[in-house]
Amino acid sequence: MIKRLVIGVVALMLGLVFIGPATASEKGNPRKGKYTYRKVYSTCMARGAVESPKPTVNPDAKTRAQWDKVFANKDFAQFGCDQEWAALTAEDLNDIYSYLWEFAADSPTPAKCK
Amino acid sequence: MRTRQAFNFVAALGMLLVFMTGCSTTTPSAPATQPAASEAGPFHAIVDVAFVQQHVQTPMPEGVMLIDARPRRPKYDEGHIPMAISIPESKFEQMRDMLPVDKNALLIFYCGGPACDLSHKSARKAEALGYTNVKVFSDGFPGWMKVPGNFAAVSTDWVKQQVDAKADMVLVDSRPKQGKYDQGHIPGAISISDSQFDKLTAQLPADKNKLLVFYCGGLACPLSSKSASKAIALGYTNVKVYPEGYPGWVAAVGAETVTAKAAAGAAPVAKPTANSFKAGKAEGTIDPAQFKKILAEDPSQIMLIDVRDKNEYDKGALKTAINIPVDDLEKKISTLPADKPIVFVCGTGARSGESYYMVKDKRPELKEVYYLDGELTIHKDGTFVLKEPV
Repeated sequence: MIKRLVIGVVALMLGLVFIGPATASEKGNPRKGKYTYRKVYSTCMARGAVESPKPTVNPDAKTRAQWDKVFANKDFAQFGCDQEWAALTAEDLNDIYSYLWEFAADSPTPAKCK
Repeated sequence: MRTRQAFNFVAALGMLLVFMTGCSTTTPSAPATQPAASEAGPFHAIVDVAFVQQHVQTPMPEGVMLIDARPRRPKYDEGHIPMAISIPESKFEQMRDMLPVDKNALLIFYCGGPACDLSHKSARKAEALGYTNVKVFSDGFPGWMKVPGNFAAVSTDWVKQQVDAKADMVLVDSRPKQGKYDQGHIPGAISISDSQFDKLTAQLPADKNKLLVFYCGGLACPLSSKSASKAIALGYTNVKVYPEGYPGWVAAVGAETVTAKAAAGAAPVAKPTANSFKAGKAEGTIDPAQFKKILAEDPSQIMLIDVRDKNEYDKGALKTAINIPVDDLEKKISTLPADKPIVFVCGTGARSGESYYMVKDKRPELKEVYYLDGELTIHKDGTFVLKEPV
């Protein structure tokens, strides 16, 4: 019984040590995400779909939980520029998600898309 | 008849009296239609040229800002007091973010002399914003130029206009020839390093009225001002300084001249091997210790690009950094040199990281590109504190 308990606790600890960082790393590269996010709008402007190359939604427009929900549901309609969003790879989306999440309204450093 | 004449005389006298009285009594009623005394007329704190002179230094001391309230084009561009920034009175509201954060900083406004009220108006607006130490140099730019030995400063736009027009001037690079001028200079500039000035005066024109424009390594570099003073002492009468210097030129026009050095006959610089610098923790970053070492020992081996906005850069920049705000980088990206490692910096790593990925995307042939990650605080004197990312 004690042996099973020890194995269980050790397994749980190992899980916390390895699964935690793995989840964090799944969020992608926020620096690259910032560039990709802005590129969506500069490309979108180049084809005349929007007037400004600046993204319409800033990272601090939502909390981290709200960004989690947006990307979990792939709810990208609110961003406009559908054509460009549709062309993004899974990695690009992950990077953008990471950027928006990193600078969300309830993050230590909420940011405008500057 | 006599009665009528007398009546006319009395009437004329009466009208004259009314007129005179009117003249004397209209003044008190004027405030109803004219601005109150606090909103017009001279500002309450006027300073003289000696006061301004004691604060005009290269680089400018922290906590002091000299502000040209005249229209930028052409007034400020073609001649302003060295180290003054341009905030035209007509654009005060839009440009007030350029004023220092510290409300106790000394602000000195000037414009076109005693008859000009733009500086007074701007000074009142600054006080209304809460600035507590605001002065007006009412003799303005003409008053500055009256002092023997003083010279005017010019803007990047003006220099570019003269270069493009092949104007009749001598553009002098006051930086050391080896390692600076030879690495890149403004087209048409001759090299007379300030340290060799006395030995190289033969390169200056015989005509003492010819326009001479001196420049060096930017707002923190005093060499061009020193050389300008030496030229004036030699009897040159038309001397100007371009304070933003070569970094300002590269930021505005591009770095074509950096790569054009071979054409000028300079010794080719050995190209760095791929990834010659130690990488930092995240992709594309430079190791912070390596970055500090480069800046301390040989900053000329990298092209350091500060991608913050100009107003942030003007408040304090790394000594060899040129300013290309991230919003302008894409249109200047073709001018980035391929023969020198490039390091982007900003305040947190966000904009410099974005710049790194932009170069990777738009100029994939550039292999030696890095950005500095972490919280970077740069002081006015070019010293900095780097808080590395956790």
